[in-house]
Amino acid sequence: MTDPQPNDDTLLAQRIRSGDRDALGELYDRYASVALATAIRVVADREQAEDLVHDAFVAVWQKIDRFDPMRGSLRAWLLTIVRNRSIDRLRGAHPSMAIDDADDQALIRSSANPTWEAAIARRSAAELRGAIDTLPPEQRQAIELAYFAGNTYREIAVITNVPLGTANGRLRLALAKLRESLQWTDAAPAVEPASAPGAER
Amino acid sequence: MRERLDHAAVDELGAAFALGALDADEARAVAEHLATCPEPHAELRSLLGAQDVLPMSLDPGTPSPRLRDRLMATVGRTRQEHERGGAPVGQQPEPEGDRGGRRGWFDWLSPQVARPLAVAALVAVLAVAGWNVVLQGQLAERDRALHAVASAISGGQTAFRVEGSAGRGYVVDTPGSGAALVIADLAALPANRIYELWLLDAAGTPVAVGTFAPGSDAVAVVPVDRDLAGYATFAVTVEPSRLDAPTGTIVMQGHLSAS
Repeated sequence: MTDPQPNDDTLLAQRIRSGDRDALGELYDRYASVALATAIRVVADREQAEDLVHDAFVAVWQKIDRFDPMRGSLRAWLLTIVRNRSIDRLRGAHPSMAIDDADDQALIRSSANPTWEAAIARRSAAELRGAIDTLPPEQRQAIELAYFAGNTYREIAVITNVPLGTANGRLRLALAKLRESLQWTDAAPAVEPASAPGAER
Repeated sequence: MRERLDHAAVDELGAAFALGALDADEARAVAEHLATCPEPHAELRSLLGAQDVLPMSLDPGTPSPRLRDRLMATVGRTRQEHERGGAPVGQQPEPEGDRGGRRGWFDWLSPQVARPLAVAALVAVLAVAGWNVVLQGQLAERDRALHAVASAISGGQTAFRVEGSAGRGYVVDTPGSGAALVIADLAALPANRIYELWLLDAAGTPVAVGTFAPGSDAVAVVPVDRDLAGYATFAVTVEPSRLDAPTGTIVMQGHLSAS
């Protein structure tokens, strides 16, 4: 995968903040394809997906002052905005969160993390997909219901007919296993996942 | 009212927070805790950023060439927050999107939305609509039309998007109750013109389905008393009166296949 260096994104963020529209165009050239793939996966409608990608890049342009390149990844922030807006569209009149709140929380959730950044930078989409595919089916289902379908863990518990603790535990175990699988060659924080009551391994 | 979370509760919700799988109150509570807590919450923070693996595992899409131009045009007339003095968090207006066309309340709908709703509302709307009837004026009726489509879609019924210069909407096919065309933001017409709906087979042969006209609320519900099987597309033209063959320009159209 030819992922750009993080400092490229830092420079891009600085240029966007200074009002450089060409920099936003470069950001678009860099990430529009994955942004579109994400939106299509969520809303399953190409026309709507392109609208959502458009809106997400406009949001980055407008809200760039809120983004701190020292604390987060510009790509992660953008993709989280795309995902949030796609879920918002999917849920229609029943959003789980106002879009501005979601955008603000996207800043926290897109915190720079060497584990995931390195894993993404060094692996192709197929390799990342392969890592996800190694998860136990119920854990893979849980993270896909969360990320791509926009379900809360409470909703996942209902959908999959398991206790709340199990649904939450599956999310935790899924991310822990994913981290373990992706750290084969990448350095990862030496953090053991806390036990997840009610969750099967 | 939102509860304050202790350290253990925040850690417990870490993966769900990272994946955006908390409801609004819980997510806000976790975010506030992280913003002020002196504890490192190393396990939780090690999960932040994990959510990017999912989109990056997808095969990249290919945006249409127009999308970049549209974005740059929008950005060219959109100010950044610091240019408007910086709006407080939570009060920032939505991006001034140029979506390349009119956007209305129908745009909240897609064939994938609102699965948990019921189908019954569509039946209710069709029961009061009648052939060639346009719902007039009332917001309640507009909402009912919206609910009708959402409910039909969410109930697993088939919905086909229709759009064009005259408006946007869906043809909803409900087994046992027939199909209906529901259009929002329907454009006004001169007094001597009406809209006519056509079904076309694979060879492009049109069959007249019915006529309708915009009401004051610009929401039209047009029952389609025909089996959609065997037809490939539908179209709406502007005509001087109900005709057996179209003479006017197509102002809305859609395909009778899943998007």
